[in-house]
Amino acid sequence: MGTFWRLLTFLRPYRRGVIVSFALAAVAMGTGVFIPFLVGRTVDEIRKGETNLWPLAFAILGAALIRLAFSVLRRLIAGRVSLGVEYDLRNRMYRHLQSLELAFFDEQQTGQLMSRSTVDLQAVRFFLGYGLIFILQSLVTLLVAAAVMLALNVELGLLALAPAPLIFWVAFRYGRKNRPASQEVQQKIAELTAEVEENVGGIRLVKAFAREDRQLDRVRARAQRVFDQSMVSTRLRAFYNPFIGFLPNLGLAVVLLVGGRQAVHGQITIGEFVAFYGYVNLLVSPVRMLGIALGMAQRAVGSGARVFEVLDRQPEMTVPAGAVDLPAGDGHVELRDVSFAYVGTEERVLDGVSLDVPAGRTIAIVGETGSGKSTLVSLLPRLYDPSAGSVWIDGADVSTVRLGSLRSQVGLVSDDPFLFSDTIRNNIAYARAEASQDAIEDAARRADIHDFIAGLPEGYDTVVGERGVTVSGGQRQRLAIARALVMDPRVLILDDATSSVDASTEAAIKRALRELMEGRTTFIIGHRLSTIALADEIVVLEHGKIAARGTHDELLTESPLYREIAEKGAPDRRFLTRKPLEREVAGL
Amino acid sequence: MRRLWRLIRGEERRGRKLRGLLELLRPYRARTMLMFVALILATAASLAPPYLAGRAIDDGIRQKDLGALTVVVVLFVVSALVTWGATYAQTYLVNWVGERALQDLRVKLFRHLQRLSVGFYSRNKAGVLISRMTNDVEALNQLVTDSVVTLFQSSLTLIGTAVILVLLDPGLALVTFLCFPILMVSSLAFRIASTGAYRLTREKIAWVTAYLQETLSGVRVVRAFGQEPRHEQRFAELNEDNREANMKTVYLNAAYFPAVELLSAVATAAILIYGGNQVVSGNGVTIGVLASFVFYLNSFFDPIQALSQLYTTYQAGMAALDKIFELLDEEPEIVDRPNAVELPRVNGEITFDDVCFAYGTGDDAALALCDVDLTIPPGMTVALVGATGAGKSTFVKLVARFHDPTRGRVLVDGHDLRDVTERSLRSQLGMVPQEGFLFSGTIRDNIAFGKRDASDADVESAARAVGAHEFIVGLPSGYDTEVGERGGHLSAGQRQLVAFARAAVADPRILILDEATSNVDVHTEGRIEAGLRRLLAGRTAIVIAHRLSTIQGAGRIIVLDKGRVVEQGTHDELLDADGAYASLYRDWAEQAAA
Repeated sequence: MGTFWRLLTFLRPYRRGVIVSFALAAVAMGTGVFIPFLVGRTVDEIRKGETNLWPLAFAILGAALIRLAFSVLRRLIAGRVSLGVEYDLRNRMYRHLQSLELAFFDEQQTGQLMSRSTVDLQAVRFFLGYGLIFILQSLVTLLVAAAVMLALNVELGLLALAPAPLIFWVAFRYGRKNRPASQEVQQKIAELTAEVEENVGGIRLVKAFAREDRQLDRVRARAQRVFDQSMVSTRLRAFYNPFIGFLPNLGLAVVLLVGGRQAVHGQITIGEFVAFYGYVNLLVSPVRMLGIALGMAQRAVGSGARVFEVLDRQPEMTVPAGAVDLPAGDGHVELRDVSFAYVGTEERVLDGVSLDVPAGRTIAIVGETGSGKSTLVSLLPRLYDPSAGSVWIDGADVSTVRLGSLRSQVGLVSDDPFLFSDTIRNNIAYARAEASQDAIEDAARRADIHDFIAGLPEGYDTVVGERGVTVSGGQRQRLAIARALVMDPRVLILDDATSSVDASTEAAIKRALRELMEGRTTFIIGHRLSTIALADEIVVLEHGKIAARGTHDELLTESPLYREIAEKGAPDRRFLTRKPLEREVAGL
Repeated sequence: MRRLWRLIRGEERRGRKLRGLLELLRPYRARTMLMFVALILATAASLAPPYLAGRAIDDGIRQKDLGALTVVVVLFVVSALVTWGATYAQTYLVNWVGERALQDLRVKLFRHLQRLSVGFYSRNKAGVLISRMTNDVEALNQLVTDSVVTLFQSSLTLIGTAVILVLLDPGLALVTFLCFPILMVSSLAFRIASTGAYRLTREKIAWVTAYLQETLSGVRVVRAFGQEPRHEQRFAELNEDNREANMKTVYLNAAYFPAVELLSAVATAAILIYGGNQVVSGNGVTIGVLASFVFYLNSFFDPIQALSQLYTTYQAGMAALDKIFELLDEEPEIVDRPNAVELPRVNGEITFDDVCFAYGTGDDAALALCDVDLTIPPGMTVALVGATGAGKSTFVKLVARFHDPTRGRVLVDGHDLRDVTERSLRSQLGMVPQEGFLFSGTIRDNIAFGKRDASDADVESAARAVGAHEFIVGLPSGYDTEVGERGGHLSAGQRQLVAFARAAVADPRILILDEATSNVDVHTEGRIEAGLRRLLAGRTAIVIAHRLSTIQGAGRIIVLDKGRVVEQGTHDELLDADGAYASLYRDWAEQAAA
């Protein structure tokens, strides 16, 4: 139950709101309970032949107005609290995710994290925001109504309240059974969707092989499964919902029978009889609410545990207190006996690598897939910490300087550059939000992408990325180069930056790259000889160790591994690659 | 009011679509009728309790008649049981019929989608088509099940209550009805306002989720550039927008629901004042009738609120119905002619007779292919070469008759493709898409996809023929290995080989192959080349080629540029001719040597 109490701590900043809304709910519900009592009194007055009913009618109206005022206030305050909790929770989760080191995201699937930050967070906020208030409010109604009923008539009160626990239990039970059943329906629909998606994706094949009938059979079978599962959920609903409606009627029947007898025998008045009938009706929805809210609480505890798993994960990459900025320099990079193993694995991706790269040098790193090339360069901007050894830039151990100052000096252009769903301007200025339009355009020109951008209807304000215009691989790459140019780092990493483009695009990118590399220490990871040729010196990695180092010609004679890579990794068997149109831009 | 009127009048145009929807229910007529019987029964039974409670007062308590009281209580319990039973039947039946009809609609939609030509798929986004079959059908589900029940049940409850009240006492009934219009108008206004407000909250939360998703997938870039604070700030802004949008719904709810409660109390007070005086003056209103009126108020407010909710579901459902019918109204561009003949088993001679083709119609439709006039002899492998957009894909699409040429004819063994049935052509056609698109399922399923009724032996011999057998039996589950979504569990090279086997099992006379551009390791590369050679042997093959080895091995190279054939011949011939191909080759060689 620890999770439950921890969840409640999220309400701490809103203590006052919670207490006030609770008090308001108590008053509103209390006056609400008063109304059936007044109705009963009126009936008795009528029985007595009283014609001046106005005082009682005004009393009913007065009670209703008080209830109105307090309910409106309660809803406003409770709504603010619940939205505030939601807001805080979401921000806190996001900030926490941002504080975690990259290695954490390697262990986690994005889908998992998404589901924790959306579905689980939703369950928690529903409970904290609404469920808890439902519970409090329902309890107040229940207690006040029960107290009034018992005060009026103990025997009848007890009998009328008898179905309440049953309603509560059935509502709770229904919620618990129905949830997995309806989730399963969603699952079946998702499977159907996947089937259709695949068919649409492979429609040319389906047509070419004339297999429409096969696909139709498969979809039909999936649809049948959706139907079957829906019926499972329907049967539950068809049974429980009317059952929950039936139980209060049982309470009413008891009031009719026993209350009626008591009224016949003169133990209670007709007015009290009417009031009791009213109370039973009044109790139905709070009791039902309680059942539902308890289900919410249960879910929230389960989800809360998963949310806390993330929130409790401490950032492992820390910076010592009082860390200073990266000292000034020209980009002298040094790796001292660096080893690296990914978390949870024994295998050393890097094994005692020492490498001294003077400022301004361009180094190509080659090796088979999995030889540790990408890992090595990831250590420079301290995306990961080495398991042993240290990385130095311009005389400072990178683990001792402020992360921001380090990362602003190490630029990265990868083979599949990630662009944010934002304007081209903001994507280029990503590293330096304050960059001027001139600086941005200049960078775009040097990256050989300005003409393309200028040709777009909205120019630099065109939104790219997942939710924007689609740009080809070559254009993305040049945008990433422009992004790095604006950043103006001392150390530059080109991770396979020309791998996915055709020959003519490659030439353009290479021009841009030369521009970018000017005056910086550069690390190139490449498979293509043409890219490797940009380097002053080549380092060959094999099983996490440096196998050879030298110029292209030196290595051809000295390193058998390099020779092999050079021969077969040549550009290769691809002749005239077919890549998406350069101007394949949505809406053009 | 005018808006409401337009809303109602607009329905005439939707008449056809609603009839189409009813058409779906036709096979389930009997169940539908039964459902309505249950619904009427349930509604009628649920109206009894307040009346019975009043009778208990008048006949039992006031007359001090315990026998009569017992009878009333028994009737009360019976009515409650009937409500329970009938509601069970009605809920079950409406969902059964509704779900059945919607699954039928899904299958119908899918069958229609399958009939549509490839051109349709190029014009429409996959996500939109999928959404027609999933989200839009789900939206209809709401309309067909919940809304229908709400509409009938709530209307019947309202009418039933009104009739009972009038029968009990017309004067008192009139007083009760006074609060009616107020509730009706305010409920409708609330629904309209909150529909907009809730739509806004859905949009805002979608933004929040999308932003989260994006920064999670781009986390490497965020870290590398050290831009965490900026994203935190932006996220907080979006989060704040979401909060504000939700606050609007809080305001609306805070105004509406307490107001309804107030209205109910006002009505109660009015009934008591007016009815009380009637009772005291002995004008026929008994105390039991008065109590019934007070109790009926409870069941009076719910149906009005429920009916006002219909507006939202009705709108959503109708929008979905429009979209679904739009899709169903789409006609396939390529249909067999009435007198289309079966294409006999062909040798595989392909002729382009002065062919032009443009995507789309109208004057500004650009020609994707023009003045193509050539014949490919049976059994030859042809390599298509050219830059992106030169017309290579269009060329093969015309051979597969995914489109009909805008001008000229495409013939196979002298048969114009437009004169033969689609099925007879395609059953002699094989295709290997770029990057070997696989369907989820086992390797066996995927290979057997190539041919109807392919046996396990067929599958295996096809795999052997293209050299895929060895790697397949090397997998833990062999041919029963699940390939995962889009073949994701296999490597790019393995996917290629499976796609080869799939084409081989069909034993096509004509093969269309879009060569992969992705890099695979040297070992796999060798296998793919060998498999490809064996697959091409003995068939007419058109290859969109990227590998030099394939191009050099082709019987003829066709060089396309801007939709026209600029050169044809073998590798050596074209090098000698020193034209477009030779210059492409030189570019490549330079690049390779750099």
